[in-house]
Amino acid sequence: MLAFALPATYFVVKINVDADLMLAKLSPYYDKIYEPAEDSFLLLDLFEEIGATVANNKPRLVVELGTGSGIVSTFLNQHILKNAFLIATDINPHCCHAAIATNAKNAATVNFDSIQGDLTSSLRPASVDLLIFNPPYVPSPFVPTVPESAEDQTWLDLALDGGNDGMAVTNRLLQSLGKILAPKGQAYILFCARNNPSMVAEQFLKDHPSFRVEKMIERKAGWEVLSVYLFQNTASQKDR
Amino acid sequence: MKFLTTNFVKCAVKSCDASELSFPLKYEECELQLQEHDFNPEFLISMLPRLNWDAVVQVAADLGNTTLPSTKPEGIEDNEQMLKDLHSLLLETQIINGKMTCRHCGHIYYIKDSIANFLLPPHLANS
Repeated sequence: MLAFALPATYFVVKINVDADLMLAKLSPYYDKIYEPAEDSFLLLDLFEEIGATVANNKPRLVVELGTGSGIVSTFLNQHILKNAFLIATDINPHCCHAAIATNAKNAATVNFDSIQGDLTSSLRPASVDLLIFNPPYVPSPFVPTVPESAEDQTWLDLALDGGNDGMAVTNRLLQSLGKILAPKGQAYILFCARNNPSMVAEQFLKDHPSFRVEKMIERKAGWEVLSVYLFQNTASQKDR
Repeated sequence: MKFLTTNFVKCAVKSCDASELSFPLKYEECELQLQEHDFNPEFLISMLPRLNWDAVVQVAADLGNTTLPSTKPEGIEDNEQMLKDLHSLLLETQIINGKMTCRHCGHIYYIKDSIANFLLPPHLANS
């Protein structure tokens, strides 16, 4: 039995990802990583649609935070960005290995790496041209603590539970966005309706007047309404 | 972890943010592996302007390579040997295992099975 089954909706994305290879390789990580789901597919569909525009910006350093299976970074590497360096990060070490495996089975491995870390804390300031984040956005009583050993069974909880309004983790990222993005850098961040993304965007703009924020895509997925917002640093110089 | 990645990672401790010593980290006891990949000069030419060259030189020295020029090479478009050397160093050199130390706070991070771990213990995570 294939332990890592991709939902049928996956194939709505008309791309040439070798699903069989992906399934076989990822099976050891089943139960330990976030399996691609509607939120992942929303990002894939968005990047399929706006891929040419994203590539035209010629991002050099691309960072995906919370990469999970690595499917979004792999898609970007394989189909959209030919001369970028991608770093797929996750707090969960199993995801780092899974991301490398997913990419290796589908795309060029030469310009792809994965590190384990908490959001942008270990990244050089003003270095990221393109940042992608599918956060733990589900409202929950609290954000789970980080397990101490790789064998712990609770790593997966970190991919889902986003604390109050589901915004605890995303808010931390938003606070560091001005510092981590390169001049003219862009960040694509996924939200669910319960995160109140339009209010979040409005508040962010008040605090960061040099940014532009735009809703790029929205879709009903089961009982959730998911959306992706673009946060763009319009300052050409580092202004902080 | 690829050598190129060392040019984009720093100490995760918040109080080290303001210190220039938190980047690059000091690499020690590293087990290296050369993984052959297709040569893509275009990628290197476009990436070079984004590199902190002093950090490239410093990390290379940590790993035992002291042959790099001290200033960032220019006009590499026509310098195939330089491009190939950079390809080998930045993209083919993998740190399989090793440790990385912050020159400011002394915190040690580990690379295990090619994955660098920048998670901090709870007492450092919010400091």
